Amino acid sequence: MNRWIWLGVMLGWSGAACAQASATLSEKDFLDDMPVVLSVSRLPQRLDDTPGAVTIIDRDMIRLSGARDVADLLRLVPGFQSSTSFEAVAPQASYHGAFGGYSNRIQVLVDGRSAYSPYFIGSVEAGLQTVAMQDIERIEVLRGSNSAAYGARAFLGVINIVTRDSADTRGTQISLSGGENGIRDAWASLGWGADNGTFRLGLDRRGDDGLAGSNGRNSIERFNVRADLRPGSSDEIEVRAGGLVINAGKGFAGNADDLSRDTRYGSAYLQLDWRRTLDPDQDLALSYSHMHESYRDAFPYSLLAMGINDSIAVDASGVAGSDTLTLQHTWRQGSSLRMVWGAELRRERVTSRPAYNTDAALVTDFSRLFGNLEWRPAEQLILNVGAMAENTSASGSTMAPRLMLNWRVAEGQTLRAGASRAYRPPSTYEQFADVRYLWNGHLLEVSTLASGKVQDESVMARELGYLGVFPSLRMNLDVRVFREDVGGFLRQLNAIRPKDYANVENFSLRGLEYQLKWQPWQGAQLVLGQAFINSSLGNDISLADSGLALAAPKQASTLSYFQKLPGGLDLSLIHQNSGTQTLQGAGRLDQWAMSRTDLRLAAPLRLGGRRAEVALVLQNLGAPYLDFDPAFEFQRRAYLTLRVDN
Amino acid sequence: MLARLRFLILGLWLGCLASADLHAATSVVIVSSESNAAYTETAQALVEELERSGISRSEVLLLRASEWPLGRAPAARLYVTLGAEAAGRLARSELAAPLLCALLPRSSFERVLQQSGRKASPLVSAIVLDQPMSRQLELIRIALPTVRRIGVLWGAQMAAEAPALKAQALSHGLQLTEAAVAEEEPVFPALRQVLEASDLLLAIPNPQVYNSASIQNILLTSFRARVPMLAFSAAYARAGALLSLQATPSQIGLQAGAMARAVLHGKALPEAPVYSNDFEITVNDHVARSLGLKLDAQSLHKRLRQREGEP
Repeated sequence: MNRWIWLGVMLGWSGAACAQASATLSEKDFLDDMPVVLSVSRLPQRLDDTPGAVTIIDRDMIRLSGARDVADLLRLVPGFQSSTSFEAVAPQASYHGAFGGYSNRIQVLVDGRSAYSPYFIGSVEAGLQTVAMQDIERIEVLRGSNSAAYGARAFLGVINIVTRDSADTRGTQISLSGGENGIRDAWASLGWGADNGTFRLGLDRRGDDGLAGSNGRNSIERFNVRADLRPGSSDEIEVRAGGLVINAGKGFAGNADDLSRDTRYGSAYLQLDWRRTLDPDQDLALSYSHMHESYRDAFPYSLLAMGINDSIAVDASGVAGSDTLTLQHTWRQGSSLRMVWGAELRRERVTSRPAYNTDAALVTDFSRLFGNLEWRPAEQLILNVGAMAENTSASGSTMAPRLMLNWRVAEGQTLRAGASRAYRPPSTYEQFADVRYLWNGHLLEVSTLASGKVQDESVMARELGYLGVFPSLRMNLDVRVFREDVGGFLRQLNAIRPKDYANVENFSLRGLEYQLKWQPWQGAQLVLGQAFINSSLGNDISLADSGLALAAPKQASTLSYFQKLPGGLDLSLIHQNSGTQTLQGAGRLDQWAMSRTDLRLAAPLRLGGRRAEVALVLQNLGAPYLDFDPAFEFQRRAYLTLRVDN
Repeated sequence: MLARLRFLILGLWLGCLASADLHAATSVVIVSSESNAAYTETAQALVEELERSGISRSEVLLLRASEWPLGRAPAARLYVTLGAEAAGRLARSELAAPLLCALLPRSSFERVLQQSGRKASPLVSAIVLDQPMSRQLELIRIALPTVRRIGVLWGAQMAAEAPALKAQALSHGLQLTEAAVAEEEPVFPALRQVLEASDLLLAIPNPQVYNSASIQNILLTSFRARVPMLAFSAAYARAGALLSLQATPSQIGLQAGAMARAVLHGKALPEAPVYSNDFEITVNDHVARSLGLKLDAQSLHKRLRQREGEP
C-alpha cells in the first residue's frame, strides 16, 4: 500500500500543486522569507564572462535549422565538422578534426552527464543521439579545450545538451515528419505535475534510408523520462532515465571484408541529481549516473580464398557500462569571487570477446578533483583559474590547468586571452585491443593487437578571443584565434600487422574562427560563421602517414538567413561550404570539398486551440556531396513536419 | 526566537507589556499581531519617532494582539495596530480614540472594515504595505527602459483590478499582458501565456498565485524565458526576482510615528488609507548580471523619489 502512495507522490498525482484555494492576502505575503530559487549554480555565466568561446544554439534555432539530429545541427558551429552516416554507429560531429571514423576528442554532456561511449573508444556519436531534438532547450558548445572543468574527454571542446525542464513541457506534444529518402520521424511527449514536482515522458523514433550508395538504412527509437522534484524549499531532485536502440545498415554488398549487414546498438542510462541550496551564495550538488551500452555487429567471412569451404564470423559485438558519482560545491563571495570545486569517481567496463579476446570485463577507474575560481578584481576584468587533477587506472595521474582572462575594454566589447592544457588517456580499445580470427581452433589471423605501450595524448591550447555587441547595428561578433599543440597524438598504426596503437606524432592546429550575427531588418537574422585552420607537423612524418591529414578542412563557412514573413511564416536558408577534407571513414588522402544548402519554410497553425506548425524542409538543394565515405552521397531530400505544441 | 526576545526587551524598555491599568497616562497603544522581527522593527521605529517629538516612552503601551482585553479597552489617545490580526481585534472593540492600522495590505484593511462594520475615516485609517501602481510603473520605466510589455498574473478574485491597471500602464507607455489563475488550478498555463508576450513579470501580491510553493516554478520558468520579475518584497529579490519594490517595517513604523504625533497634536488621521511615503528597492545583482543588466538600487531609489517630487 505504502508503495502505491509513494508512487502517487512521485508521479505528482497527490500533493497540492495547484493555485492555493481561498488563500487571503495578509502582511505575511510581504514580510515572510522565501526559498532561494535562482541559487548561485542556477545562474548561468554571461557569454562575455565565460572562460572560453561558447556558441549557444537555442530551441528556436534548432527548430529553424530543420536539422533532424544534433550532429547535423553542429554543422552551424564554426570549427565543427559533421556527417550523417551511420557507418560509425551514428552521425558524427567533431571540432577541429575527427581524426577518423569515431570522434573521441570532444566531450558530450547531456544535462551534465558525460554521455560519450566507452565501447566506441570514447566517441560522441551515440551520445549525441540521447534525446529527441524537440526535448532540447539549448546546446552550449564550448569551443576549445576544457578539461579543467569537464575532464579528459573535453580535449578539444564540449557539447553540452540541456534538455527542457519538465515544468515547461506539461501537456501533450507531438510531431510527425515524412518525406523523401524514407524519412519517417515521430515524436510524442507527455508532461504532467505541478509545484512539488513535474514529469515528462518522451517517446520518439527517427529513421531514413541513409546515404545513397550506402547500406545505411537506419532508425533510432528512444524513450526518455525526466522528473523534477522539489521535496523542500532548499532541495531539488532530478531523475532522468532513458534508452535508445539504433538499427543501422553497414558495409557493402559483395565486399567480403565489410559485408553489408544490419547492426544494432542499444544504450540505457539512469541519472540522479540532488541539489541543496545552502544559502543564496552556495549550493551543493550530488550526482550519480549509470550507463549501459550493447552493440551487435557480425557478418560471415568466407574462407574460400584460403581454400576452406567454410566461413567465420567477423564480429564487433560487446557490451560496456559506466558509473559516475560527482559531488560539487559552488560558492560565491559578493560579486567578485565565485568558485566551483568538487570530486568525481567514475568506473568504465568494456566486455567484448571479439575485440579483446577475453570474456572478462576490462575496467578503467577514474578519480578526479576539480576546481575553478572566477575572480573579478575590477568590474572590467575577470580571471578564471581552474584545474583538474585526474588519476586513471589506465595511465596514472595528470593535472590539467586553465587560465583565462576576460577584459571588458568597453561596454559590449570583451577581449579574452588564455591557455589550457589537457590530456586524453588511452581508451580501453587503444590499450587492450586483441582482434583475432579462429577457425576450428586454428588461429587464422591477429588483425589488431594493442601493445599497450601508449600514453596520454596532450594538448596545449592557447587562444585569444573577442566578443563584440553592437546594439545600434543589431550585430554581434564572436572571434576565436587559437593554437592547439597536440603532443603524443594517439592513433592506429595501419602499416603494420597486427595493427597497433601508438603515440606517434606531434602537430599544431592554428587558426581563426568567427561568428557574426546581424539583424539587418525587421524579422531577419543573418548568421555568418567561418573557420580557417592551418596545421603543421612537429616531427618527421609525412602528411600521408599522419593523423593530421584527417583533421579539419582549411576553410569552412556557413551562412544562415532566417526571416519572419507576414502571417507568421518562417523562412530559413542555410548554406554551408567546406574546403577539402578527408572523409571520416576513408583513407588519408581521400579528400573532398562539399557544399550544402538547406531551405525551410514553416507556417503556424491552430489545431483545436493549440499551437501547431507545419514545415517543409529541403536539404541539400544543390548537387549531391560526399559524406563519410567516397561511395556515399548525400542527395537532395525533402520532408514535411507537422508539430503540435502543448 | 531572537525577534521575540527583542520584542520583550522593547516591551520592558517601554515599561509596559504589563497590565494596562497601571498606565493611566498612556497616549498611544501599539498592538502587534505577532512579535517577530518585522513587527518589532516597526514598533521600534514608531516609538523612536514618537520619542523624537517629545512623547515619553512611558506614554506608550505595547501589547500583543493576544493580550488585547476582551472587555474594556485600555484608554489612550491613539491606537496603532501592526498587522491584520491586531487590526481586526481592535476594529471589533469599542474605542474612544482613533485607530491607525499599519503593516497590512490594503485588502486586509478593507476586510477588517467590512467585518467590523466600519468605514475608512479619520477615526479608522491605515498605512498599507502595497506600493502604489504608479510608483511600480515608474520604477519599470526608470530601471528597464526597454520594457514595453508587462505581464501580470491575477488571482481568482482580482480580475476586477485589471482595467485600472491597464489604463495606468497605458499612461506609462506600457502594454499589459494578463492572465487569470483559477482557484485550485495550476499556475503554469497562465504563466506561460503571460511570459510569451511580456518583457517583465510584475508580481501583484496574491497568495493564490505567489507563495513559497509556487515561487520556484514561477522564478525558474520566467528566468528560462528571460523575463525578469519585479516583486513586492525583498525576499523575492533574494529568491531570484530581478528587483523588488517595498516599504520596510522601519519605514512603515516611522510614518506611523509621524501620523501618531500629528494625532497627538490634535490633527486628524487621513480619511483614506495611505501608501508609504518612503520605499526600498532591492536588486538581485547576480540575476541582473546574468541577464546582462546593470542596476543600482540606491540610484534607482533616488531617481524614483525625485520623480515623485520628494526632496
